[in-house]
Amino acid sequence: METKPKILIIDDEEVVLDSCTQILKGSGYQLKIANDGLRGVELVREYQPDLVFVDLKMPGISGFEVLEKVREIDSTIVTVVITGFATVSSAVDAMKKGAYDFLPKPFTPDEFRMIARRGIERRRLMLETIALRREKELLREQFASIVSHELKAPLGAVQQNLFALDFELEEKLTEEQKAKFGRIKIRIDELLKLINSWLRVISVDINKLKDSFAQVSITKPISNALESVASLAERKNIEIVSSISDQLPPILGDVLSLSEVFVNIMGNSIKYSPDGTKVTLTAEVQGQNLVTTIQDGGIGISPEDLPHIFDGFFRGKSGQAGHGIGLAVAHQIVDAHHGSINVTSELGKGTTFMVSLPLFVNSP
Amino acid sequence: MTKKLLMIDDDPDFVSGIKAILDKGGFEVDVAYNPKDGMTALQTKQYDLLLLDIMMGRGAEGIMIARKLRKDVKLRELPVLIMTGMREQIAFLFPGEPIHPRFVEIDELVEKPVEPKMLLEKVNSLIAAAEAKKAGKK
Repeated sequence: METKPKILIIDDEEVVLDSCTQILKGSGYQLKIANDGLRGVELVREYQPDLVFVDLKMPGISGFEVLEKVREIDSTIVTVVITGFATVSSAVDAMKKGAYDFLPKPFTPDEFRMIARRGIERRRLMLETIALRREKELLREQFASIVSHELKAPLGAVQQNLFALDFELEEKLTEEQKAKFGRIKIRIDELLKLINSWLRVISVDINKLKDSFAQVSITKPISNALESVASLAERKNIEIVSSISDQLPPILGDVLSLSEVFVNIMGNSIKYSPDGTKVTLTAEVQGQNLVTTIQDGGIGISPEDLPHIFDGFFRGKSGQAGHGIGLAVAHQIVDAHHGSINVTSELGKGTTFMVSLPLFVNSP
Repeated sequence: MTKKLLMIDDDPDFVSGIKAILDKGGFEVDVAYNPKDGMTALQTKQYDLLLLDIMMGRGAEGIMIARKLRKDVKLRELPVLIMTGMREQIAFLFPGEPIHPRFVEIDELVEKPVEPKMLLEKVNSLIAAAEAKKAGKK
């Protein structure tokens, strides 16, 4: 059986308490009353009502104070203020403070019943919303684990067996057959990388990265990234021209995630560059920041698409393959480093990404 | 002499993909599909290297094995190649030390799937490192 909704009425006038008790008799609610604010607050704690009626003008602590206390105890409890002489202005003040509704004195039994019913309904909806939100979070987490176990593990096993088969048949395969193996492996590898990015977005709290921040040189993540995208660049016949001085001052950050930032941005640049073009990479100190610039001669991003490229799951109107979530992940990581990514682009000419990271400052 | 390896991993398909490469590479490979059988094999036979999956069963059961190894005077010298499919967990489990988790004296961590060339390189170098260390002690 569902428990009866609980109502608490706080008012210093006996006649109000009595009449409310009379009106709600047999209506399917549980009712408790208090004739001053302090006792009322005490009852809110003990009784945990769904709905509280509070008189605004009472001796001792005022209705406004009671409202505040109720909010502190449980912000999902619905409050309705009872105002003497229908002072709408104080009712408005109360509603600004979180009261859901007001009941002007004097009131008819029907008015009271209706406001009580609405208040109880409001509380029910609030609790339901919270439950649904919690459920959504849970589903999100569960989805992350489903993706990792149900998708990633089998795909990894497929790739491992493909590696093995290719390796075992090494001497027997023709060049053409080897090329076929190569294509399958590359596509599976791309899928695995996609799942990894997915998992990063869903299940990893990027802000936790801050725990592992250390003084690092930008050359480390950049060279990691260059190594990682080298095969992709080679396949697309794209030359990566990197001129990074090893005399640059250090920054405060996490090498692995910064490597990911540069992999994702360079990967994006390479993906959207026509065969035989160049991607250039430079880094320099600008004020208190170290700015790394990655410039391509690719297809460019249209002005209306530009503001959305860090949104994740965004695909430009140009109909080209999506930017995916790599850039969104890069943006989150750079954010966690208190840095910024700026991008400028011109259709048909190319795109420039500027990753700005604060320089390492020796704490006194 | 042929080197003997033990692989502990609960995914038989993945295991066969790794084992085929190691077979062709000239190793003798035993397989255990759960941590319990794995520990039994480690205690009853002699191996030159352990290939260990981290995420097995209900969680990071592979890490439990690594911890047991470290406490065992003899097994602590066994080199271990740790394999994980969870890249995002690498940073989480081994903050700042992603490549050599140092669960045991000689170990290295690789992400699944593992390319044949890299697999053989890692296996050979870990075995060589363990042998060099032993020779140094004598």
